[in-house]
Amino acid sequence: MSLTRRTQQWATFGRTWYLYDMKWQNPFHSARKIAYVLSGRNKPIFEDRTDCGDHVVAINSRHISLPGNEWEKRVYYHHTGYPGGATWTLAHELHAKDPTIIVEKAVYSALDKDLTRHGRMRKLHIFPDDKVPEKIMQNVTHQLRQMRPVPVRLDHIPKDVVDNFPKIFDWPKDFVLK
Amino acid sequence: MSTRCRIMFWGCSYVKTPLQNGIGRYVPQLQRITFKFCKSSGSSHGIRQFIEQNLLNFTKENPHVVVYVKPRRKRAPCLKAEYLNGASEYVGAHKMSKEDISKWVEFLRTKSGDTTTKFLLKRHHTDFPSIQGTWTAFTHKDPKINVTQLPNEELSEFRLPEPSGTEELLDIYWRQQRQKEQNRDEEN
Repeated sequence: MSLTRRTQQWATFGRTWYLYDMKWQNPFHSARKIAYVLSGRNKPIFEDRTDCGDHVVAINSRHISLPGNEWEKRVYYHHTGYPGGATWTLAHELHAKDPTIIVEKAVYSALDKDLTRHGRMRKLHIFPDDKVPEKIMQNVTHQLRQMRPVPVRLDHIPKDVVDNFPKIFDWPKDFVLK
Repeated sequence: MSTRCRIMFWGCSYVKTPLQNGIGRYVPQLQRITFKFCKSSGSSHGIRQFIEQNLLNFTKENPHVVVYVKPRRKRAPCLKAEYLNGASEYVGAHKMSKEDISKWVEFLRTKSGDTTTKFLLKRHHTDFPSIQGTWTAFTHKDPKINVTQLPNEELSEFRLPEPSGTEELLDIYWRQQRQKEQNRDEEN
């Protein structure tokens, strides 16, 4: 293979490392996007038997947001294999134990259920906060867009932005809000 | 050299014409065809009829093909074709009619002798994968990403496919404000 062709091969099949911020994101919604990238479906060269998936570094997994009352209602089942070894763990209990495991399980079930699944999971790197080892951060070249807007508190918005926000009318000074 | 032996040494490949055969000149690929049959058996009836009625015509039209006729007692009839590239093809002609034999002979005559069609690597193949250059991870990407410090708020934040009603209203408001300022400046 000539040097040009070899370089072409590296450029086309080289792995891209994506960063994904899990802050205030629904893990099950985000898992679909992450699984899409992990399997390489975002590439025009995608072919289901070719190993062409990318790496995803998911940060802030401690700050995920589950929809509705799922922190109390979602249950993770595990069986040790021994009689009476079944356990049912609530999502908030599991999250307190390991803040990365809900994201990991969500992506695991969003991936294709075949022999490629474990190889693809190896390309997912989850971190509970935004502290990522330097060795991993060196590889990251792209960032994935979040799936949901991150809510902002009013007292976190700069004061001049709040004051200059257009208003149709102003409440009278002596008006009492009930 | 049998087909199996050939594949073992040369490997399988995509369908192709040997040495661009047919562009400029045509080199017939079929070298020899052998008709093996029984003189008495009913299963060889069709092949015997073909030999009686059509074989001379075939030899006249295709002088480049060596034709062997091999009668053998109590054996199933068959056609064996041998090609320029060393491959050989075997067609069992048991209980075939004269018309069927004609079709098979025509098939063997026009074949290139390339037996690898059965061992295709994939269902699609092209010699020219891309005219504008093969895709890479940085194709159609903004080069600004190379100098951006990650994690980056602007790249990460959620965006609607279209601006929301609030955003559009704010946009109209700020445009109006700018227009007012301009008018004020012009008056002054």
